[in-house]
Amino acid sequence: MFRRSMVITRREFVRSGSGLAAVGLLGAGRRDAEGQEPPARSRVVLIRRTDALGEDGAPDGKVLHAMLNEAVAALFETSEPAAAWKRLFGPGDVVGIKSNVWRNLPTPPALEEAIRAEVIGAGVAPGDVAVDDRGVLENPVFKRATAFINTRPMRTHHWSGLGTCLKNMIMFVPRPADYHGDACASLGAIWRLPEIEGKVRLNVLVMLTPQFHGVGPHSFSPAFVWPYKGLLVGTDPVAVDATGARIIEAKRREHFGEERPISPPPHHIQIADTRYGLGVSDPQRIDIVRLGFMESAL
Amino acid sequence: MMRVQIWEALVWAGLLSLPLVATACGDRGGGVASLRPLVPAQVGGWQAADHGELYDQESIFSYIDGHAEVYLAYGMKGCLARRYTGPSGEADIALDVFEMGSPADAYGVASYDRDGESVDIGRDGRFRYGWLSYWKGPFFVSVTAESESAAAREAVLELGRSVAALITDNGAPPPLIGALPLSGLDVNSVRYLHSQQILDTHLWLGEGEVLGLAPDTPAALVRYLRDGRSAHLLLVDYPDGARAEQAAAAIAGRLFAGPPGGGPTLGQDGRWHGVDQRGARLVVVIGAANEELAAALLSEVGAPQGGG
Repeated sequence: MFRRSMVITRREFVRSGSGLAAVGLLGAGRRDAEGQEPPARSRVVLIRRTDALGEDGAPDGKVLHAMLNEAVAALFETSEPAAAWKRLFGPGDVVGIKSNVWRNLPTPPALEEAIRAEVIGAGVAPGDVAVDDRGVLENPVFKRATAFINTRPMRTHHWSGLGTCLKNMIMFVPRPADYHGDACASLGAIWRLPEIEGKVRLNVLVMLTPQFHGVGPHSFSPAFVWPYKGLLVGTDPVAVDATGARIIEAKRREHFGEERPISPPPHHIQIADTRYGLGVSDPQRIDIVRLGFMESAL
Repeated sequence: MMRVQIWEALVWAGLLSLPLVATACGDRGGGVASLRPLVPAQVGGWQAADHGELYDQESIFSYIDGHAEVYLAYGMKGCLARRYTGPSGEADIALDVFEMGSPADAYGVASYDRDGESVDIGRDGRFRYGWLSYWKGPFFVSVTAESESAAAREAVLELGRSVAALITDNGAPPPLIGALPLSGLDVNSVRYLHSQQILDTHLWLGEGEVLGLAPDTPAALVRYLRDGRSAHLLLVDYPDGARAEQAAAAIAGRLFAGPPGGGPTLGQDGRWHGVDQRGARLVVVIGAANEELAAALLSEVGAPQGGG
């Protein structure tokens, strides 16, 4: 079964003969114990819709849900979102949806709900799905999870340069500050913990209103977010984050009118590739599927 | 050289005021809580939306999400936070007054981020992107307009001035700052700290806490630029020579796998590093572009006053 292969090893996936052409779909945590090389390429879906945000700037739940489904379907090269979700999850799975509650820019609740609905729609029992952030270590569903979906908004970050999908798993360790050194270079190690490795089946980097710069004690100012109205979706968190990082860098160039490198440098993304083998950071090896409007896509 | 002149003025202004500094008690000895009734309820067209919330070392995490460790690393005792609601079309302004462990710590937390234009408010006042910050006495003050406008800028600066006027203790920069060689010193790169976590955010020296940084080990990290060539200088004052000696051996092993005190050494990264000890003071040159610069910086730092 394809679903099981994704969790276990790449070799078993290949054996399964699922017919899925995109080797790049094998992303985070899928280099197995036999030392398989990371995939040659990864696929990331960038979807944007002009109506993703309402007039008040809040996400439109229905539009967001449709964007999510369209992106997941495109990721798995199918026209049927339900079929794509069923490739990811099924009866017997216990799914933790790792969200982000940062007060200034949280994962939109509407997106959490959409993900939850699709996971249940794929056959997972409602009692076996939970959404959490700060409480993942105590959450009973997360404790027995067979799979995770990782979703958060992209933003600049005080310790890691960027708040990324890779960074979002830091709540799975009891002392997150232990990973703050060298601009959080070792975040990839968290993804190699037994309770996480191979379980993150989907990453959704929220690019609705990304934050490209931070100031002050709260590292936030509305002046430094913009309505990008997008989502980045992939199974490879490194490729998703690397793609998001390039968008942030481009926005900073546009806004500041000069090269203003992200500080501290978000090198945890590249290191997740080179040191931890979690995916692909080289843009030359990332296939971006672009859906929706691409004006000012950066 | 303008850079040196500015720096000299800053250092001497601070050091000369040292004997005048009273105890690090902030206004009238009551700490940040005593500022609460005194902070303006109105500034420009902005009205206070609350009476000011007080946070301690535990509750600060609920207020500053993801960044509180910086303030705690500088001995934060408490924080007064007050929001101001703007006139129609204007965003809120947030006032945060942090009471730090000492004026040196307030200086340190201000040195964490030296971006922005210099403004004459408090000490080391800086303004950038709607955010004013400065330190004064044991306080670090932050005033942030959540969206930039000319009116918001004026309100932010006015509020900053009002709060600065409430703080009677001027404070002084840490004495260690006065030990830094002046030639080629990049004023905006001066960081004062005493924790590994803060050092790591400015300069990564590898895994592990080999320097043994702690509240009793004030440290200064600075970047130098001489004749177009750069280097970092790290000074750490230990309570005794034994701890300095231990740290010197550890960091020398880290930088060039050799003993300290032997002059500059070419590292595998093609840069020159050096480690020396002056009594209880550790002197580390990191990443100098050439041997001469590394040697000069090593030689220009003296021992702590009192012999260390």
